[in-house]
Amino acid sequence: MRRWRIPLIWLLAALLCGGIILKTPVATDLTLFVPRADPVAELLLEQLRSGPTTRLILIGLTGDAESERAAVSRRLAESLRASNSFVRIANGADALPETELQTLFAHRYLLSPTVSPERFTPDALRAALRQRLRELQSPLAAVQKRWLPADPTGELLTLLKRWQGEIREPAKRLGVWFSPNGDRALLLAETGAAGYDLAGQRHAVMAIRAAFAKVAAGTTVALQMSGPGVIATLAEDTVRAEAELLSILATLGIMLILVLVYRSARTVWIGALPMLAALLAGAAAVDLLFGKMYALTLAFSMTLLGETLDYPTYLFSHRQAGETVWDTLRGLWPTLRLCAATTLLGCLAMIAPDVPGLSQLGVFTIAGIIAAVTTTRWLLPVLLPPDWRPARVIGAGIWMDTLLKPRPWRALAVGVGGLLVLLALLIKAPPVWEDDIAALSPVPRELLRLDQELRSGLGAPEVGQLIAVTAPDAETALQQSEIVAAWLDARQQEGLLAGYEAAARYLPSQQTQRQRQAHLPDLEALTANLARAAEGLPFQPGLFTPFLDAIAAARTAPPVQPEDWRGTLLGTRIGILLFPGERGWTALLPLSGVKNPQWLAANLPSSQATHAFYLDLRAETNRLVSGFRATALQRLTWGVVLIVAVVWMGLRSWRGVIAALTPVTVALIFTVAVLLSLGERLSLFHLVSLLLVLGIGVDYGLFFSRPAADPVQRRQTLHALLVCCGSALTVFGMLATSELPALRAIGLTVSIGVAASFSTALVMARPILIRMG
Amino acid sequence: MKRWAGVFASLLCWPLTVVATDEALTEVMRMLAGVRSLEVGFREEKTLAMLQQPLIATGRLYYQAPAYWRKQTVQPQPEDYVADGDWLTVETSDGGRRDFNLNGYPQLRPLVEAIRATQAGDRAALERYYRLDFQGAPAEWTLRLTPLDSTAAHYVAAIVMHGRNERILSVETLEPDGDRSLMTLELH
Repeated sequence: MRRWRIPLIWLLAALLCGGIILKTPVATDLTLFVPRADPVAELLLEQLRSGPTTRLILIGLTGDAESERAAVSRRLAESLRASNSFVRIANGADALPETELQTLFAHRYLLSPTVSPERFTPDALRAALRQRLRELQSPLAAVQKRWLPADPTGELLTLLKRWQGEIREPAKRLGVWFSPNGDRALLLAETGAAGYDLAGQRHAVMAIRAAFAKVAAGTTVALQMSGPGVIATLAEDTVRAEAELLSILATLGIMLILVLVYRSARTVWIGALPMLAALLAGAAAVDLLFGKMYALTLAFSMTLLGETLDYPTYLFSHRQAGETVWDTLRGLWPTLRLCAATTLLGCLAMIAPDVPGLSQLGVFTIAGIIAAVTTTRWLLPVLLPPDWRPARVIGAGIWMDTLLKPRPWRALAVGVGGLLVLLALLIKAPPVWEDDIAALSPVPRELLRLDQELRSGLGAPEVGQLIAVTAPDAETALQQSEIVAAWLDARQQEGLLAGYEAAARYLPSQQTQRQRQAHLPDLEALTANLARAAEGLPFQPGLFTPFLDAIAAARTAPPVQPEDWRGTLLGTRIGILLFPGERGWTALLPLSGVKNPQWLAANLPSSQATHAFYLDLRAETNRLVSGFRATALQRLTWGVVLIVAVVWMGLRSWRGVIAALTPVTVALIFTVAVLLSLGERLSLFHLVSLLLVLGIGVDYGLFFSRPAADPVQRRQTLHALLVCCGSALTVFGMLATSELPALRAIGLTVSIGVAASFSTALVMARPILIRMG
Repeated sequence: MKRWAGVFASLLCWPLTVVATDEALTEVMRMLAGVRSLEVGFREEKTLAMLQQPLIATGRLYYQAPAYWRKQTVQPQPEDYVADGDWLTVETSDGGRRDFNLNGYPQLRPLVEAIRATQAGDRAALERYYRLDFQGAPAEWTLRLTPLDSTAAHYVAAIVMHGRNERILSVETLEPDGDRSLMTLELH
């Protein structure tokens, strides 16, 4: 019964962890990696998570004949509009619904920017009436004439121009939007769900797919989709699919190696236990501490496989006749313990409360390593018969002694080589860092290209330049953005930008609306002015009574407020540009065609009065990425210091420390040099992988410099490390073939690093130890 | 009995008259298609419920087979509409010059085709947008176009053209609310 106590506890713990993991959502947003407590960064964060552009789904229809593409575009738009699950579906054939046209019409005198005292003088009214008369003459008059009696000054036209104005419309064919060359019909869908709401985005994407399948039946039209939400859901899918495929392949590869080397099936499942424990414990710890798991952490968990597989391998290779499994483990324990402790401390440095993403990686690794080493130390001996040995170990033998023979000159040569490479790197200073946030994205490049194409075809706003105004309430936000808007109008005149959007353009502040009300003449004056204006013109007497009534009503009407537009198409456009947040209201003014962002940012009307911030999303995110990388680098440095300290504490000898750590240092230099010469730019993924290389490399150094005089044991160590290195190369070599930038970076870095660490540890560790002794 | 005979006889003849008018329409279309180019003056009289007196405009029309049509208003203020292939160019004294691709504005296309496709004798194009009612003989004919599309029917109830052989004499546009405009074409 005692024999089964440990396996039982282990099993319970594993089940518990599994239960926790199943309940935890996976998040794909990068915002976890953005440091908190910076006001601009907070705004930025909100934009990245839920800003207007994150809600757009860009749709392209290709294939079949042009007329079919246009017809499918119409049917798809109709079907999606009818589903009511989208805020807006635009394909060029859309007009404002009649009810909203009426709403706009009803409030025209408070909303129209052309309302001024001069607008209603006899002269101005006469000019307006003459203009209306000219319009009646045109063949297109039939469409406009119904508004004339109540709106002779044409305020509705001003408003409609404003609503349609700022969007650069795509080319149209057969009444709907098309790409310039006509290959693709284009649609734009705006989701109610924010970009970070992955479930909502997935729902929207599925709704589009389902609607398309129905309306495109019988044609050969094909559907393409892009946009932040689509990319996020697809990214989650591809990362998951590719990670799954690769990990299955890697597991098969490792099993093959173990079976081939040890000729024992037992090594396969015994060897898998620490790995399994690491994944379960790591994921559960992250879930408990953070409530959700970042997809990046999941990808990174792959790297953990590399180190946790090594622990049982050390055991397998060091088994020898005459001692029990317990004895072998007891002999290995000081080194094993030190190996685990170095990795743990390296990762401890990554935990920082203000960078949750990095902390997740740290927590995951720490929990995983503890679980793996505990499993190896206490569970494995229980599961193995005391005198168990792998049936027939392949590979170990006398030939190893040639390799193991210390060759001080060779060690020196490698050391000097490392130093020279380091010098070369420092002098040549190639571009080292990847600060583009796109490189952090786990999205296949092909999808990003499609996104670019659809975006430019649709003239959809780039995630780019915008001004954000914050205020305690909606009214203040509107007033302040009116100040900024007036300034922007002047800059637009000077050609510094092509245009901008603002909620205040559609919904003026109450203050402005009241000013307009004050400009409206009273009934008596207006009647007199109108009579003078219409003199000699052929309009029927009494035709403009609705106009007189409308002005009289507008003089006392309550100002239009954001709430009045709720649930309408117009309200949605406003709601995207003006919305309440955690700390009051935010008004956004997205800019297009900005010539000189720096100048605009520097000369923005005093942010004291307006609380306006200029956000260059791309530059800001890239700045955050580089800032984040700098933090990571700093923490890695602390990790290295901690590792040195713990190795010294474990070995109590500087000689040992130098013997264990010099090889890995040289190996890291080589790894970075190889990566850079392959044209890679170092991103977060490379950096984190280098940390893993450091962990594994220190292990190699420790094992090769173990004070084991016995040549048999040294052969066993070499054998163990050969197997470790071989399986790591298998796993990470496969990752390096991935299309996904993240997995590729991890795979490439670790496989190069492991190979380099093994070679340098083999060549340098013992000679240093002996020489210094 | 005699009355029945008359009904019977007209029933017998009915398909014949249909065939006869259809042949006449085909003949008129053929004659219109024979015109390679045209330049005429026009006078347009618009009668609107809002106005005490009709609006009157004069100008010139130009046609070049197969797809160039231009309406140049001279009085009371200059305006220029040019439909060439898929493009409509509008130039007004105050609005400047604007180009529309007719493919992008399905509500404009029928209006342009009503007169352009008739002048070109392109029956297929007309039937894409209108129901055609033809009356008379080539020497004196009336062609009534009723929009097929419900959006177009919102603004135009019917377009009625009178003509003699290969010449269109007048185009009358009837709006659902009773407003109407009559354009008469005169040779110079």
